[in-house]
Amino acid sequence: MAVETPTKPTIADKIYDKMFHNYVWKSIFRTGYPNTPRNQMLVVATNVFLHLHPTRIHRTHVKITHTYCLGGLTFFMFLGLTVTGILLMFYYVPSVERAYLDIQNIETTVQFGQLMRNMHRWMAHAMVILVFLHMMRVFYTGAYKPPREFNWVVGVILLVLTFLLSFTGYLLPWDQLAFWAITVGTNIAGAAPVLGPKTKFWLLGGFEVGPDALIRFYTLHVIGLPLLAAIFMAVHFWRIRRDGGLARPL
Amino acid sequence: MATAVVARPVARPQERARDEEVLVWPDLVFVEFISAMVFTLTIFLLSAIINAPLLDEANADVTPNPSKAPWYFLNLQELLLHMDKGLAGVIVPAVWLGLMAIFPYFDTDNEGQGVWFGTENAVKITVVSGIISFVGTWLLILWDNGNIAQYLNGWFGLSGGDSLRFLENARAFQSQLPWPEWSTHIPYLWFDLTLLDQPFHHLNFPAWLVEQAIPVAFMVGLPTIMVYVLWRVGWVRTRRDALLSIFTGFVVTMGVLTIVGTAFRSESEELVWPWQLKLSEGIPGQE
Ligand code: HEM
Repeated sequence: MAVETPTKPTIADKIYDKMFHNYVWKSIFRTGYPNTPRNQMLVVATNVFLHLHPTRIHRTHVKITHTYCLGGLTFFMFLGLTVTGILLMFYYVPSVERAYLDIQNIETTVQFGQLMRNMHRWMAHAMVILVFLHMMRVFYTGAYKPPREFNWVVGVILLVLTFLLSFTGYLLPWDQLAFWAITVGTNIAGAAPVLGPKTKFWLLGGFEVGPDALIRFYTLHVIGLPLLAAIFMAVHFWRIRRDGGLARPL
Repeated sequence: MATAVVARPVARPQERARDEEVLVWPDLVFVEFISAMVFTLTIFLLSAIINAPLLDEANADVTPNPSKAPWYFLNLQELLLHMDKGLAGVIVPAVWLGLMAIFPYFDTDNEGQGVWFGTENAVKITVVSGIISFVGTWLLILWDNGNIAQYLNGWFGLSGGDSLRFLENARAFQSQLPWPEWSTHIPYLWFDLTLLDQPFHHLNFPAWLVEQAIPVAFMVGLPTIMVYVLWRVGWVRTRRDALLSIFTGFVVTMGVLTIVGTAFRSESEELVWPWQLKLSEGIPGQE
């Protein structure tokens, strides 16, 4: 790096200074725009969202081919699903009389409703695929080995939760696809030895897919399972930090 | 199997080599930002082009044929066709998830962690297990669907005659063999057991054989044979190697089952080519 010789600040420097070093900016972000290593570490350590990260990580882990960002993208899908899901909740009522009509309305009369529904749907599929790929990447990089045993177990729980989230959402449009897919799906659960019929009854709130099943799936889909998933994700991320970051060769 | 007896260090976070580290901002944050943007854009474009499906309103009186579970459960739905429902739909996935959860407690050696395929034979084991599982799963599906017998007959004029018909598929063991009368109701216990309203009185042995015993024998036996052979060949030497083979086998098998369930199962679960697939009623433009 060349030795810095003091020069007169240019217009650009002054604007930059006004923008990033003023009282309000600093009250929000604590540091100026992070253009020095010190500030860059500070911003990661002090920002509530960024501090999920450590301030430094091992070189090999920022290579895209190590993780392909799969865990991060799974989480990103979860966030996107939360946003689009909340928007859909404004219009959707989980009753047998209204559910299907509401979806039709979302598609035809709500501004950007179709787009929201599409995004929610495709992100849900993407999340299922990504979480599976993430699991494969963790497996083939041997990242479940000590001391990360338990985080792998947390991961398996997250995998199940992801499937359940997607499955419970599948019923909500209350069309033929939804109805029969859930009928087939819950029949599978109902075939379990001994506990099957009771489990199926408990899932559906009855012997077949009907109004009670709809409200159950809805409640699980919009609050029960997301809450559980968020808790397990928090544990998952915390454990990554506690276990010393991502796995690397000894 | 010889496993080296080495004292393992107590699990603890790895030490940090400061000079090997980079700053999260910018190196990681920017990568994350870019991949998030790429995904947002892709999902956005996809959503602008392709609409989420919406069929006719739910109607309990009109059963679409075929009725399919969501695609990520079609592997189980496919498995269901070949064995007892409870076994395929609940026991197999539950046992698998349980087994997978204890992987790290089975393979506790640190060797090769943190790098893709970090152990010596990892790539070989993965590729070969993948190929074996791919071919094997297809063969099993075709056999159980009666296709293999058909091919042997149609292409080579081979026909075992009636005495060999019981080999046509798994369930033929039940229907084509002369089971004695008593074998279909062997009492479990000397009294009639009822658990949660479900009777457990008699064992139907032929049905048990084809619905449970044969499938379990295949699902447990074939992976075991695969790992055993790879061990005899000298590729599988550690627990990690065995897991590599089994996990790959599982992923590929699930993949094949999902694809067959999605693209090869038509009306009444008939096995057809994807271009002959008939989609369910109620999908606009498909009737
Ligand atoms: C909702 C689901 C999940 C989310 C949001 C998630 C998120 C993440 C993230 C962001 C990371 C950091 C590294 C990376 O991006 O690859 C990670 C690492 C990890 N994940 Fe997940 N994950 C999920 C599911 C799973 C599953 C299903 C498993 C395994 C069965 C798993 C096991 C692990 C392990 C062991 C690590 C540490 C990897 C290492 O040290 O290299 N996770 N996860």
